Amino acid sequence: MPQEKKSNLEIIATREINFQNEEKDKRAAELVIANKELIYQNEEKGKRAAELIIANLELVFQNEEKGKRAAELIVANKELAFQNEEKEKRAAELISANKELLAFTYVSSHDLQEPLRKIQTFVTIILENENQNLSENGKHNFRRIQSAAGRMQQLIEDLLAFSRISTTEHVFEKINLNSIIEEVKTELREVIEEKNAIIEVSEICQARIIVFQFHQLMCNLISNALKFSRPGLAPHIIIKSNIVKGDKSKDDMLIEEKEYCHISVQDNGIGFEPHFSKRIFEVFQRLHGKEEYAGTGIGLAIVKKIVENHRGIIRASSKLMHGAIFDIYIPAD
Amino acid sequence: MTGQWNYELCNKIQLLCNDNGFICVNITAHSTSDLYGHLNLLLCDDDLDDCSFFKEALKALPRSTNLTAVHDGEQLMNLVTGEAYQLHDVLFLDLNMHRKNGFECLLELKLNEKLKRLPVIILSTSLDREVVNLLYKNGAHYFIRKPSEFSQIKIIIEHALTLITQKNISQPDIEDFVLS
Repeated sequence: MPQEKKSNLEIIATREINFQNEEKDKRAAELVIANKELIYQNEEKGKRAAELIIANLELVFQNEEKGKRAAELIVANKELAFQNEEKEKRAAELISANKELLAFTYVSSHDLQEPLRKIQTFVTIILENENQNLSENGKHNFRRIQSAAGRMQQLIEDLLAFSRISTTEHVFEKINLNSIIEEVKTELREVIEEKNAIIEVSEICQARIIVFQFHQLMCNLISNALKFSRPGLAPHIIIKSNIVKGDKSKDDMLIEEKEYCHISVQDNGIGFEPHFSKRIFEVFQRLHGKEEYAGTGIGLAIVKKIVENHRGIIRASSKLMHGAIFDIYIPAD
Repeated sequence: MTGQWNYELCNKIQLLCNDNGFICVNITAHSTSDLYGHLNLLLCDDDLDDCSFFKEALKALPRSTNLTAVHDGEQLMNLVTGEAYQLHDVLFLDLNMHRKNGFECLLELKLNEKLKRLPVIILSTSLDREVVNLLYKNGAHYFIRKPSEFSQIKIIIEHALTLITQKNISQPDIEDFVLS
């Protein structure tokens, strides 16, 4: 082989080997970098794995806690269900007890009337037959018996009326309140004439009410106004009613923006001290002795019960010797 | 002539003149008790005081009356369903009696061909519109709420007896049913 060709081949081969070596070095360097990268990735993976283990432990713990809370909730719910059952039992018992009480009131009032009537009748027989044989004092005492028996009769009748207000069917009718007021005025016309009373009725609206109960309500309010007039001053009673929107500033029992029929009955009578404004609605609560004014103290209790039957509220305000005003709010629907 | 002549009790009065100029007055009445103004009363009330009040009141009235008193519904029905029973002029019937009450008795009486002609006046301590209407529907003649004053008892019994002798058989209008 010629010398040139051999050295050319050697040069090419050497160049090739050098080139390959360079490439190998490059590759090796790349590998080193790649390995470093890999090591780094592995470290990171290791860190992530460690973090995952912690996270998993946390999760397990959370799940355990959740399990505990769920178990507690189940217990709490059972307790609640039990309490609700008890509450419903109590509510049912209350309703039943209430019904019994009303029935009892009705029956006993009814049964009490019979012996009372006998007392009254026998007293009248004695006063008639023994008129000659009785001293004035004796007759006087028998008349006191009659008076007491009469009061007892009134009490029993009032109790009966009160229990009837709660037990009878509630039939609502939409009606102009004026017609009821006119009926009451006719019923009370004797007293009205006797006292020269003026009953002014203005702006009367329609409302959905239980007619016979509302009749009783108006009768009680108006006859009270007539009864408790100021001596020497003719009673002046003003009755108004209109539709208003609930306003908590007027009365905190009213629901804001709900429509109510507001009825007010105002008089110019003897009034009452403001601190009695709630007590007067209690059963058999009176502010005067029986010698001053007749009555059993149940009139306003009946009025309040009737207002409650209509899901309404009633308020009384007054100043002694400056009349009184009764405000009634009944839902307009 | 002695005694009272109650012309309103009679149905017919005929004046007959015979040939000899004798005037004969012919009076037709429903029963001998009508004729003499005498009334046979039947009272059924289980309250002995009320029975006593009734008897005392009758004694004070200017009427000739005969009173039979029974004290429970069964006693009443036994009496009136007896074969020989002659109708009284009126039955005063208490409403609230134990065992058989006045209402049950009223129903039974009005179902009986013979007994339904007996006018029944109901006595009660209370006045319940629905009860009153039911009693009227079932043929009672009048309703009396027992008064608590003796003088009232006398007045109302006299009123009832006057009405009974006037309107013998027929039931009054519902407006007049409750006496006061």
